[in-house]
Amino acid sequence: MSEEKVIEVRNLTVSYGLKPALLDVSFSVARGNLIGVIGPNGAGKSTLIKSILGFLKPDIGEVRLDGVPAGKAKGKVAYVPQRGSVDWDFPVTVEEVAMMGRYGRIPFWRDPGAKDQEAVEKALDMVRMSAHRNTQIGQLSGGQQQRVFMARALTQGSQISALGGAFRHHGVDAATNERILDCALARESRGQRPLSLFIADLSTAAEYFDKLVLVKQRLYAYGPPEYVLREDLLSEVYEGRLKAFSNLREKGGD
Amino acid sequence: MEWLDAVLLQPLTETYFQKALIGGSVVAIVCGVVGCLVILRRMAFLGDALSHAMIAGVGAGYLFMKLVFGVEAHAPAMLLGSLIAAVLTVGLIGLVTKSTRIKDDTAIGIMYVGIFAAGVVLISVFRNAIHIDIVHFIMGDVLGVADADLWVAAFVAAFVLSVIFLFFRHLQITSFDPVMAASIGVPVLFINYLLTTCVSLVVVSAVTMVGVILVVGLLITPAATAYLLSDRLDRMMLLAALFGVTSVVGGLYVSIWLDSAGGGAIMLFCTAQFLTVFFLAPRYGVLSNVLRRMRMVPQQAIEDVLGSLARRDELAASRSEIEPHVSLSGVSFSKVVRTMERDELLTAKGRTLSLTLKGAQQARGILRAHRIWETYLESLGEASDDLHNRAHELEHVRDEEAIAYLDHILGHPDTDPHGTEIPSVADMASRKAIYSISELRAGSAATVEKVKTPGTGLSEGDKIQLIEKSNEPKAWVLKREGEPEKTLDHEQVDSIFVRLDHYSGT
Repeated sequence: MSEEKVIEVRNLTVSYGLKPALLDVSFSVARGNLIGVIGPNGAGKSTLIKSILGFLKPDIGEVRLDGVPAGKAKGKVAYVPQRGSVDWDFPVTVEEVAMMGRYGRIPFWRDPGAKDQEAVEKALDMVRMSAHRNTQIGQLSGGQQQRVFMARALTQGSQISALGGAFRHHGVDAATNERILDCALARESRGQRPLSLFIADLSTAAEYFDKLVLVKQRLYAYGPPEYVLREDLLSEVYEGRLKAFSNLREKGGD
Repeated sequence: MEWLDAVLLQPLTETYFQKALIGGSVVAIVCGVVGCLVILRRMAFLGDALSHAMIAGVGAGYLFMKLVFGVEAHAPAMLLGSLIAAVLTVGLIGLVTKSTRIKDDTAIGIMYVGIFAAGVVLISVFRNAIHIDIVHFIMGDVLGVADADLWVAAFVAAFVLSVIFLFFRHLQITSFDPVMAASIGVPVLFINYLLTTCVSLVVVSAVTMVGVILVVGLLITPAATAYLLSDRLDRMMLLAALFGVTSVVGGLYVSIWLDSAGGGAIMLFCTAQFLTVFFLAPRYGVLSNVLRRMRMVPQQAIEDVLGSLARRDELAASRSEIEPHVSLSGVSFSKVVRTMERDELLTAKGRTLSLTLKGAQQARGILRAHRIWETYLESLGEASDDLHNRAHELEHVRDEEAIAYLDHILGHPDTDPHGTEIPSVADMASRKAIYSISELRAGSAATVEKVKTPGTGLSEGDKIQLIEKSNEPKAWVLKREGEPEKTLDHEQVDSIFVRLDHYSGT
């Protein structure tokens, strides 16, 4: 059961114009894994996430989510935006954001029902944000803001969440981050731990993730952190732009 | 009471005033509601563009019906013409931005002025066939609303409000997070076109009332006013509709009293309304911002109190001892104390202030930063009488990683240049589970968790005690249970990570 493949990426090639952003990338992810995607800027990390969300049509190859092609599996992947791409002044409350996770299954002529409300309550409870349900999202602290979006991913009920590098930003301490990841894992107790896919930065990579995907156009490595975070591999991919590898690895081993 | 009767009720008996009131309110309601989405999506400039571009459509529609069917001023044709002009403008803007390096705002500017100019030329060339007064078009004439305009406004309002009511969630989510919307299968592009169509319709129906120039105001000002007062989109829309109606009612009366242009009076009233809210809004207003800032106690003062208390024995002192060390910058000392009491940083009993556990933890962080900065400044050769003041300024910079780095390059000193002990990192509020041996103080006992470089002779699970740290040369003397002492250098102790069993420090 635990080895069931939730995401299968097969020979994926995606290009914008002449240069392929991803070239022959293949890997598969088992249910319940926490996956970090790493790679230098412009390496195709968000192209990979977008392909898994089903936004991009691959030139070659395919992405399957639970066996269904990603383009047809709308709503299977919960998307959590990058901090910077959210309009924090938008007039929307915590509860409303959490409810958005349900929008995909409410037909447009119906209002959210008792079941939807229940899912929202549960999710807010899980991320400990129930007390702030009527607060506008801009009034929250950085960590609380991330938990709200985690609640949205939970109400969506997806097996998979894809996060656009929302983690470890300035003003969010490590403890908060850990709590967010707790939430991601909270459903483990119900036997359906969601699979989560993050764009990770190198400093969090080793600490939190079960497996890492190292991409720069091609797939350089996929496996447990200690296998991916090898100095030779990283210096090849980052071309010496990163000096602190050994430090990172030490941190990671804690 | 007679004057009141004359001023308020008399105009209501006039048909033109009734029509203006009804037509204006209907337009204002739908403008307000759509305007909320317009300002949240930063489309205000597009609204402006559409209102200008439609003049070409109105002219073309008029001309077509006149030349083909010989009908004068056929309202539906002019409406359709304006919609076509609006769609054309939006399409051209998209074309320019997608196919060249020219950005959105520039493309909008180019296209709407171009189409507006085409309309002006068209109407002036065919001035014998087209009886449209351009000035009327630009300024609007709310007090001369024709029945056809009323019908158009009513139809547009019914259509647009139904769309927004039915697709509220779609419009909300595509405005707030289009990527998420697309990922759950919301047809984002379709919703965007739907909204643009609604905006075009609303603009077209509003131009006859307030004119090309003022229509954007009716679209965005009531919505912006509501934005300052609400935290939910549905309430913002209701409020915006309300503000739109009050603008129309208030503006129309003003225009009667002053005998001024109706459109101008409406927008003036609307703007006055906005300014009032801008100053007085409870949370997002200017006044409440100023008050909040005045009520706020500067962080500097709080840290000064924490720092001075932490330097006392028992972490307590009388108010008069502490006050001289605090830079108050305008607030009263008792207010600083009250704030800190509320935040549970200290307790005040009579004249005596004492730090709470939480306060003491924060204070240790400040002292640690202060003393590490002092040590660092001294290592740079700063004059010793300046050390305290410079470090006092710098102690507010105490990002954990920055301080840890300074600590590292200074070789993890135990004391500052005055010989006072630097609080250890293990003493901070954000307690870590794992430390490197270099971060410990002599006397600490710990269990080895991980050894990163070989050759230290230690391995996972070893129980060790840090016996001594010596400065010249830098060395850490450790002892493993039942074995002789061993000496390690800075690099080695940096690479051994331990879990604290017993901690020795301040």
